[in-house]
Amino acid sequence: MAEERVRSEMTGKVWKIVTKVGDKVSDGDEIMILESMKMEIPVMVDTDGTIKEFLVGEGDEVTEDQEIAILET
Amino acid sequence: MSFDAILDDYEKRRDHALGMGGPERVAKIKARGSLNARERIDYLFDSGTFIESGLFATSFIPEAQPSTPTDGKVCGYGRIDGREAAVVSHDLSVKGASSSLTNVKKMRHMRETAIKNGMPLVLLNESSGARIPDTMGAVGTGALGQDNEQFVRRREVPYAAAVLGPAYGTACWFTQLSDFVAMRKGGVLAVSSPKVTEIAIKEKVDPEELGGWKMQSEVTGKVDYATDTDEEAIDLIKKFLSYLPSHHNQRAPVAAVPSGSGDAARKIFDIVPAERQKVYDMRKVVAALSDTDSVFEMKPRFARGATTAFARMNGSTVGFVCSNPLFKAGALDPDACDKVTSFLVLCDSFNIPLVFLTDTPGFLIGLAGEVKKAPGKIMNFMTAMQLCSVPKISIVMRKSYGQAYLNMAGTRNADEMLAWPSADIGFMDPNVAVNVVHGVTYEQDPEKFTQLLDEVSQESSAYDLASIFSSQFVIDPRETRDVIIRLLEVHSRERTGGISKHQLCNWPTTY
Repeated sequence: MAEERVRSEMTGKVWKIVTKVGDKVSDGDEIMILESMKMEIPVMVDTDGTIKEFLVGEGDEVTEDQEIAILET
Repeated sequence: MSFDAILDDYEKRRDHALGMGGPERVAKIKARGSLNARERIDYLFDSGTFIESGLFATSFIPEAQPSTPTDGKVCGYGRIDGREAAVVSHDLSVKGASSSLTNVKKMRHMRETAIKNGMPLVLLNESSGARIPDTMGAVGTGALGQDNEQFVRRREVPYAAAVLGPAYGTACWFTQLSDFVAMRKGGVLAVSSPKVTEIAIKEKVDPEELGGWKMQSEVTGKVDYATDTDEEAIDLIKKFLSYLPSHHNQRAPVAAVPSGSGDAARKIFDIVPAERQKVYDMRKVVAALSDTDSVFEMKPRFARGATTAFARMNGSTVGFVCSNPLFKAGALDPDACDKVTSFLVLCDSFNIPLVFLTDTPGFLIGLAGEVKKAPGKIMNFMTAMQLCSVPKISIVMRKSYGQAYLNMAGTRNADEMLAWPSADIGFMDPNVAVNVVHGVTYEQDPEKFTQLLDEVSQESSAYDLASIFSSQFVIDPRETRDVIIRLLEVHSRERTGGISKHQLCNWPTTY
């Protein structure tokens, strides 16, 4: 099985993780929500797969392009 | 020699030229799932309209003549949806469609004929680069460069390219010069082949990393669309051209208005949430405002904080320039500036009115942006926008701050400035401004923060903007489509027949 690393599109804070490890997701699905520039920014996957691991938790600061989750594809 | 004998010889020569690089090489192309150069032309043009130019051209080297039918680039004219176009279709079965002295003359003739007669130039690109040994040495290289307009774009006619395999050298250059690029997955778009690159820099190079579809459509943004097949790529070229006039002194063709157009525009609140911290997909707004199924997005995988798209409104082509809150909150980064600038150049060059939809916290600031020359990119965008002489309608939907307000055709930069009643306009997001101006955060002192927020938010409404006539309209969001259509009727540029001043026509094609 291949792995796909999900990256943060921008610098911000993890506000809410809306999926859990083991969830099946499809291209375009929202897996967590960041807070940045006073807005709620969804993090969407761009491939089908299963969530293997979250590399960040709620409240964590993330930077642009930081790896934040791993998908099994 | 009798005419029978002459015709017999003619047919043999013609069949040889039409046979491309021979059955074996042509079969190889088929085996990899591609169309060959001639099948691509058949797929591009309306049936029976193709007339070939330069069928009997070959290499200038006598001993190479038998092995170079058409010299590896099939050229000619045909019609796309009834409109004339010129084509250069690279034939990989003939010396890797490498560029030579003869076939470069053929390309020149296609370009000059297209420009002279006002028809698009279609480039079906696949080439190993310059032909060796033809271009070797001072005599070979010095023989090039006879055409001092070869790489000049004045955008008299649209250029549309497909990258359908390896595209190095001239095939790469003309892809860079094109207004639209579709790329078949597996193709490689680069200055030189991985082999040449490896030898030059002594490093193993992966073709996909060097110039594959993912890199070109997501990182450089040079490729608009990646496709699985040749047919899909050619279909996209046809679709792209359907939105444009054949040349710069024409208006774009008008299409029939599909039934149901405008229905979704009245349900715009189903797409846009009132709460400013909630995001939504601006592409859905563009679709709702446009004629049914008429949206054609440019560079959809690149710099997604900005959306640029052709669409039709009441049958006529318009160009949408938008911030998209779904990505990076709609903040515009340097890549987004490049994306918007290229679209402004395209629309102004071909007389397409512009509609700006703004919902942005502003330009994305930070170290990464500065390293990518954010200030310069912002000014390129601004300069291009101010030079645009096509009609410009600008609408602030929920928020627009700082320089981004001006770049998105704020105030007198648009022919008409509109705002939804929900719009908030200022030098920066009021939440941020409280912190910057007063040094107070919500976390430190919620009560003080809220009081200061109220103060900072004064005079930032759509009505405040309208009160100083910096916007001419405050509109019910559900009437957005109707108002845009009506205002584009007013701003018809009748004095010039809808033709812009084309002040961006020779703006560089990549930056």
